[in-house]
Amino acid sequence: MKILLVEDDDLLIKVLTRNLATHHYIVDTVKDGEMGWTYGSTFEYDLIVLDIMLPKLDGISLCKRFRTQGYTQPILLLTAQDTITAKVQGLDAGADDYVVKPFDPVELIARIRALLRRGSANPFPLLTWGDLLLNPSTCEVTYNGCPLNLTTMEYDLLEVLLRDCQHVFSTEELLDRLWSSEEFPSEATVRSHIRRVRHKLVAAGAPHDFIATMHGRGYYLKAPSTEESTARITTTPENQMRGAGVAKSTAALKDSPQPPPDSQQQYLAFLNDTWKTTQPKSLDQMTVLLQTVRDLQTNQLTPPQQAQAQQVAHKLAGTLGVFGLTKTMHIARQLEYWLGGREPLQPKHAPLMKTLVAALQQDIEQTKLIQMSQLPAGQSPLLLIVSADAEFNQSIVGVAASRGIRLEIAPVLDATQALKITESAFDTLGQNPDVVLLRFSHTLSPSAVTDQSAFEVSNFWETLQTFKHRYPELPIIIMGDRGDLSDRLQVMRRGGQLFLTGQTPPEQVIDAVVNLLRTPEVPNKVMILDDDQEWLRTLPTLLKPWGFKVTTLADPQQFWNLLQAVTPDALVLDVNMPQINGFELCQILRSDPHWQRLPVLFLSVLTDSSSQNQAFTVGADDYLCKPVMGVELANRILRRLQRVKAWAS
Amino acid sequence: MPKRILIIDDEETIQTVVQFGIKMSAGWEVFTASSGSEGIQTAQTAKPDVILLDVMMPEMDGIATFKELQSRAETEKIPVILLTAKAQTAEKRQFNDLGVSGVITKPFNSLDLPEQITRILHW
Repeated sequence: MKILLVEDDDLLIKVLTRNLATHHYIVDTVKDGEMGWTYGSTFEYDLIVLDIMLPKLDGISLCKRFRTQGYTQPILLLTAQDTITAKVQGLDAGADDYVVKPFDPVELIARIRALLRRGSANPFPLLTWGDLLLNPSTCEVTYNGCPLNLTTMEYDLLEVLLRDCQHVFSTEELLDRLWSSEEFPSEATVRSHIRRVRHKLVAAGAPHDFIATMHGRGYYLKAPSTEESTARITTTPENQMRGAGVAKSTAALKDSPQPPPDSQQQYLAFLNDTWKTTQPKSLDQMTVLLQTVRDLQTNQLTPPQQAQAQQVAHKLAGTLGVFGLTKTMHIARQLEYWLGGREPLQPKHAPLMKTLVAALQQDIEQTKLIQMSQLPAGQSPLLLIVSADAEFNQSIVGVAASRGIRLEIAPVLDATQALKITESAFDTLGQNPDVVLLRFSHTLSPSAVTDQSAFEVSNFWETLQTFKHRYPELPIIIMGDRGDLSDRLQVMRRGGQLFLTGQTPPEQVIDAVVNLLRTPEVPNKVMILDDDQEWLRTLPTLLKPWGFKVTTLADPQQFWNLLQAVTPDALVLDVNMPQINGFELCQILRSDPHWQRLPVLFLSVLTDSSSQNQAFTVGADDYLCKPVMGVELANRILRRLQRVKAWAS
Repeated sequence: MPKRILIIDDEETIQTVVQFGIKMSAGWEVFTASSGSEGIQTAQTAKPDVILLDVMMPEMDGIATFKELQSRAETEKIPVILLTAKAQTAEKRQFNDLGVSGVITKPFNSLDLPEQITRILHW
C-alpha cells in the first residue's frame, strides 16, 4: 500500500515514515502543498496524509483541489486545531478523516487501515482467499494454517492481490502500487517477486497457479477450487487466528537492491503531464507578443512594452528548452534577440516580427506530445536484451549502467512478442537499439531432446532471424549454454555477430558490447577544439561508450602543436573562438597537404545557413548545431571515419 | 546524505521540471525560489549544498543575487552555478571572473543535472 505524506515538520516526518514502514506502507514524503499536488496527481497512492498548515498551499485547499479534480482516494488530515470548525472545514473540503495533533502513531495507523479497508473491495479486517489468510494488523500470513515467511515486498504483493481479488493486475500496475516513486524497479523485478511468492505458497501446500498468470494481461488470484472457500470472508478474526497457528512474517528482511531507474520514461511522462498546463500558459503569454506586433505595425510600441515583450520571449525560450523543443525555442530566442536590441524596434521590423511570432504560436499550438528524441544532452547507446533469464538480466543492469550503456530488456524468447515489446519501447525512447543480445538459456543434452525443447530451439533461431531481418545493420550477440559447432554455425548463418557462452560474466558481456559498438578496424582518435570548457568536459563522457579516444583543447593557439602530437583521425571544431575562429583553422588545415583529408566536423551554436555555407566553403565535412546528442555526434564522426577508411582501401 | 539543491528561477515550469528530474535521477532534495530575494531567504534557512541561479530574472537578476549571496556570512560559502540561455563565451568568462562555481547552459535535460553539478563541484 502506497501513501503520500504531505507534511513540513521534519520530526513528524521521521516518526511517521518509520511507523508506517514497519506496517509495510510505502511512503513518499513532500513538504509543501504544491508538491503534494504534483505528486498526488502524478503518482498512484492508496491514501494521502495531509497536514493542514503547509507552505505554498494549505492542506484544506489542496484537499479541495484534489476533490474538484475527481480524486477519489482517501485523504486523511492532520490538524493542530481541535475545534469543531476546523474538523468540519476539513471534512467539507473532502477529507475522509482527521487526526488531531499531537497523536499517537498507533491511532493514526489504525485510522489509515480503516480508510484503506473502506476503499478496498474487501471491507473486512482479515484478508482471505481460499486457504490463504493475511492479517494486516499483525502482518501475519498463513496458508491452511501453515505460516508463510515473507519479505516485505512479498507481503505487500500478496496484500495488493488480496485487497482486490477479482482484479487482474498488470506488471505495470503492480510496479505503481508496490514501489515508491523514488525506486524504479524493472518489470523483471515484479516477475521475480511473483515467482518467489509462488514458491513459498507452493511450499505451504497451495496449488502452483494460486497466483495465476493471464498472458498479456497480468496476475490474479485464481478462484479456489472448493466452493466453500470461494471468496470466504472472515468475520470472526479471533477464531480464525487461533486455528491458524500464525507466524510473523520477516518484515525486517531487506529486499535485494533495486535496479537503477527507468528514469527517462518517467521523466518524459512527467514532462508530458507538465506540458498540458504549460501549453495554455505559453499561448497566453503569446498574446503579449501578438500585441507587440500590432503596436509595432501602427508605430505605437513603447520601450517599456518592448522590454516586457522581451521578458516574455526570454521566459518562453527557457520553458520550451526544458521540454526539449529546440526548434521552437530558437524562434523564441530570435524574438528575444530582436526585442532586446539597443534601439527600439521600427515599423519596418514588423513583418519579420510578425513572421516569428506566428511561427512561434503555431509551433506551440501544434506540440501535442513531448518525445524522448527531443530531450537535450547525452544519450547513451542502447543495448536490447532478449532473454527470459531474469537472473542474468538483473546481473547485467548494474554493469551496463556503470559503463554508460542503456538497457532495454524483453524478457521473452518468442520472436513476435520480443519484437512487439522492443518496438513499443523504441516508440517511447525514440531510439533504435545499437546492439542486440539474444540469450538462449535452455540447457539440454542431445540425448534428451523433447518436443518442447526442440520447439524452443527452433523458436530461438527464428527470433534471431526475425531480428536480423528487422534490423539488418545491427550487431547481434548470441548467448547460449550450448556452444557446439552446429550451434555456432547456426548463429553465423543466421546473422549473429558474436557468440558468448552462457557463463560469460556480465562485465565481459558489456565489454563485448562496447567492442561491437566501436567496430575496431575503424580509426578512433578524435580531437575536439572548443573554448567552452563545460562542453569539453562533457564530451569525453558522451563519446566514451563508442570507444573513441578523445583529446580536447580549449585554446586555439595550441592547436597546431597538439594536432601534430595527437595526429587525430577526425577533428571537431567550434566556430566562434577567441583570436582564431574555426573557419580559419579549417582553412589552415586544408592548405597543408598532410591534413587535406582529415575529416572536419563543425559543431556550433550558429544555426543560420550562411555560417553553414561558410563552413563547407572552407572545407568542412559536416556541420552540427548545438545542443547535440552524444549519439548523433558519435554517429556523424563514425560515418566520417568509415568513409576515410573506404577511401584508404 | 542526499544533497540539497536550491534552484532560483522565475519560471515556474523550470522549477517544477528540474525538481522532478533531480529527485528522480539522484534523489536529491530540491528547494525552489522564484526570485532573487526569495532565493536569498531560502538559502539562509535551508542551507543548500549548491544554488542553481538563473541569470536573467526581472527585478533582481542573477548577478545581483549572486553578489548579495556573497555579501552575507550565512550564504557566502554556498557554491553557485549560473543557469544561462546565452552560450557566448565572452559572457561565460565574465561569469567565471565573478567567482561563480560554474555555468550550465539552457536548455538542459534535468536528469543530467546531478551529473553536471557533481562534475562542476568535484563532489
